[in-house]
Amino acid sequence: MTGLNVIEARGLCKDRVSSFLLKRSMVLDNLSLTVKQGETYGLLGPNGAGKTTTVKILLGLMKPDRGEVSVLGKTAGDHSSLKRIGFLPENPYFYSHLTGLEFLEFIARLFGLKRFEIKDRIKDLLRLVSMEADANKPMNKYSKGMLQRLGIAQSLINDPDILFWDEPMSGLDPIGRRDVREIINQLKRNGKTIFFNSHLLPDVNEVCDRVGVLVKGRLVTEEKISNIDQGGGYRDLEDFFLAQAER
Amino acid sequence: MFSTVIDPIFAIALNTFRETVRDRVLYAFFVFACLITVLGILLGSLSVGQDIRIVEDLGLTVIAIIGGIIAVFAGTNLVYKELERRTIYVIFTKPVSSWQFILGKYVGLSLCLFVVLVGMGLFLLGLVSLVDPEHHMQLHIHGITCSLALVLLELLFVLAMATFFSTFSTPIMSVIFTLSLWFIGHLGSSLIDLSRMSNNPTAQNLLSTLYWCLPDLAQLTRVRSMLMYGKEPSQEIIVFMLSYVMAFILLLLGLASIVNERREFP
Repeated sequence: MTGLNVIEARGLCKDRVSSFLLKRSMVLDNLSLTVKQGETYGLLGPNGAGKTTTVKILLGLMKPDRGEVSVLGKTAGDHSSLKRIGFLPENPYFYSHLTGLEFLEFIARLFGLKRFEIKDRIKDLLRLVSMEADANKPMNKYSKGMLQRLGIAQSLINDPDILFWDEPMSGLDPIGRRDVREIINQLKRNGKTIFFNSHLLPDVNEVCDRVGVLVKGRLVTEEKISNIDQGGGYRDLEDFFLAQAER
Repeated sequence: MFSTVIDPIFAIALNTFRETVRDRVLYAFFVFACLITVLGILLGSLSVGQDIRIVEDLGLTVIAIIGGIIAVFAGTNLVYKELERRTIYVIFTKPVSSWQFILGKYVGLSLCLFVVLVGMGLFLLGLVSLVDPEHHMQLHIHGITCSLALVLLELLFVLAMATFFSTFSTPIMSVIFTLSLWFIGHLGSSLIDLSRMSNNPTAQNLLSTLYWCLPDLAQLTRVRSMLMYGKEPSQEIIVFMLSYVMAFILLLLGLASIVNERREFP
């Protein structure tokens, strides 16, 4: 970690407005966080805490009602920063009419990668996520785990500096989870910044440098994993998470 | 620089084209259209010396209707399907602008309409060559090709309307809006006639303003009829029609891009 802040959010507030009575409910409440270059940051929280909304705001898919966001020194959603970002959505659905290979080619072209680069890059990524044998199958024949692997591959196609992964272990069997942990470790060694949401605390514990706990839209605490493990007064990350979430 | 602008449009267009041509419903429509066109031979045999005219007229009408159904239903689902399947997240987290997305979707579906029209047009020509005992194919090819070009022009316009409505309303509402505007478009010249007939200056102004705001597609039908009766429209009319439809398409796609740019993807 070099100490440079690559993700910065200050005072983010976001309300959800119901379509019928226009009733407002708060999703994010004055959320501020920073992630340093090369850091692996895990955003934890119970269902409905606002984790996915946070990621969407950081990526420019949603706009905050109040507050400021900058990713790689640019406003969220800026094209020059999006070129250096990889995103894996929660429960990826993708296009059932495409094969895995066609889908990766599609994503590569969205980034404007050169044709000669695309072939080699896709080959490497398919090997990385162990999907070489199934690359030519249509995606409607894929299992949830295979879609998740393909989702991981598409998020890496532009060799991003920052990765936003929303529930990357979801739908994966233990072997798949181990493989993803290995990919994350490899990305960490290459100096990539990883921001991810997950419910699977043992995996978070193994790969994250720092975690934040989001409860009802408020970031109640942030802590280094090493501090939780060593003398933080908690048995493990789960104990820490439950103590913070139920505080 | 040029490739970073064009590549995403091309990728989205290719994806949309693949999605539409891999949909079995398209082939069902195609077979249905061909079967009705074949019926033209039966209807033609009941007429006195008008068998080729009936096959051509029925064939072109079927092509226009089936093409219209594809344009309206595929067009109104363009953006909605991406939202429903959440694939929109994958696109807008990449360096892709709203206008590139809209243009890519539009080009992909236009390409599909072109392929469908060419396929059905070839089938119609084959049928005409079977019916025409003297094989005046040169004449038929010219008339049918020009008419199909006009059908395509109209469908491109309908598709732009469907694309525009799909950016802010549900598919059902978009279908209603598009079909209504398409229908009004064919009655547009009646507004001008009404304004001429009216003695009230306010009504005259209102009706002529409405005419200039709404699309006028009646011209396309008039020229299509001229072509089928062997009359050539003047070059000025062709240039005017092309410019008029293209201007409306650009306006609708521009508005669609602005609407899409402003929306959030929760």
